[in-house]
Amino acid sequence: MSKNSLTTRSERVRLIAEIGLSIALAVVLGMMKVWQMPQGGEISLAMLPLLVLSFRRGILPGLLAGALYGVLDAQLNPFVVHWVQYILDYPLAYAVVGLAGVTAAQLRASVGRSGLTVGLIAGGTALGAVARYAAHVVSGAVFFGEYAPAGQPVVLYSAGYNSFVLVSAVACAAAAIAIVPVLSRVVPVRKEILAP
Amino acid sequence: MRIPRTFGQYVAVDSPVHRLDAKTKMGLVAAYTVGLFTVERFVGLGIAAALIFLVMLVACVPSRLALRGIRAVAMILTFTVLAHALRWNPATESLLRLGPIAVDAGGLRTGLFFAARIMLLVVGTSLLTLTTTPVQLTDGLERLMRPLSRFGFPAGDVAMMLTVALRFIPTTAEEADKIIVAQMARGARFDEGGLLRRARAYVPVLIPLFVNLFRRADELAVAMESRCYHGGPGRTRLTPARMLMRDWAVLCCGTAALVALGIFA
Repeated sequence: MSKNSLTTRSERVRLIAEIGLSIALAVVLGMMKVWQMPQGGEISLAMLPLLVLSFRRGILPGLLAGALYGVLDAQLNPFVVHWVQYILDYPLAYAVVGLAGVTAAQLRASVGRSGLTVGLIAGGTALGAVARYAAHVVSGAVFFGEYAPAGQPVVLYSAGYNSFVLVSAVACAAAAIAIVPVLSRVVPVRKEILAP
Repeated sequence: MRIPRTFGQYVAVDSPVHRLDAKTKMGLVAAYTVGLFTVERFVGLGIAAALIFLVMLVACVPSRLALRGIRAVAMILTFTVLAHALRWNPATESLLRLGPIAVDAGGLRTGLFFAARIMLLVVGTSLLTLTTTPVQLTDGLERLMRPLSRFGFPAGDVAMMLTVALRFIPTTAEEADKIIVAQMARGARFDEGGLLRRARAYVPVLIPLFVNLFRRADELAVAMESRCYHGGPGRTRLTPARMLMRDWAVLCCGTAALVALGIFA
């Protein structure tokens, strides 16, 4: 067996462990709710481990971790009225948080330039959070429109209700700005195991 | 701050439900969920509740544990009922009127129907986790996803990620608790100020939590490799789970009953 295949195998196992543990931490942080919305959803740091994983490993591991976290979250906090709503509010909503990993390569190259690092983390978090927000808004407008006050457009109602995602994203971005540089110094990712 | 640990609530008793294969139970939960969403009358929900009660009895699961999940969604249930039942100054006749606020009979009925459906959904799905270990669950999930491996989907790896996540939720929660208590002993305050200030107060908790997490991932990967785990296809098990005749019988009868419930109730 070549050295290269051994490295690949070893790093594959490491990636599995990192994704599994990140999901576990996301579940734990999701339990520490700052605010619980009446029809599901909460302000919490549950997105933070998914964002940090995406910043370290890139988009694909982030998407996968997010989708799996969504499946577990649906078991913990179920609010399901239709299977399409289930997909939009759980696996898809959290999977797209992994889009934050689009800045992963630039983040690795930005070591030592704190201004750029902050900008990339904020930009990545905004992208992931807005994508998740869009999934929730679509789900809310289609499946929970009946809860909108009379006369208010359902899209506007859904956009307002789901703004908890944006509040969570601000808190997650603030925490990620402090965490990611420390992690890249203390527990760096090896270059040969970077995912796309 | 204490972190609630309601996950991984397996009740270790020997019952016919516990002995069923995880795939059978997952299939039945899927059929039960579809059945609940197709039911349109209270009588259908009543039959579903009776079925759930029967399963709870056969599974020897304490009702206190099975019903615990309802407490977590109590706020959602209350809001669902109120959002449907309450009307502001309606022109039509109401069940009850307190100033401009009125309780609409039809809305109350719809709200109670939706709330009952959510409750039954929560109790039904929690019966799966109460009678199946996390390892059995992920093993069942892997076997369900196995056909996707033909198209390059890493079913085994995904199942292992879920197994690792489920196994480490209590450990991570315990660690977070310890770090929070340690920082509080050093004078940290987590319940003061606005959102950003609170988020910043959590940074001294989050940094060690994340550093330990990624170090643990390294150690775990080494431990898994030392035991010859390599991911991908070809993984074997000491006691491979199989669908037995009784599993097929329960799955077929249960699904037929739930389809009938969805169609006729």
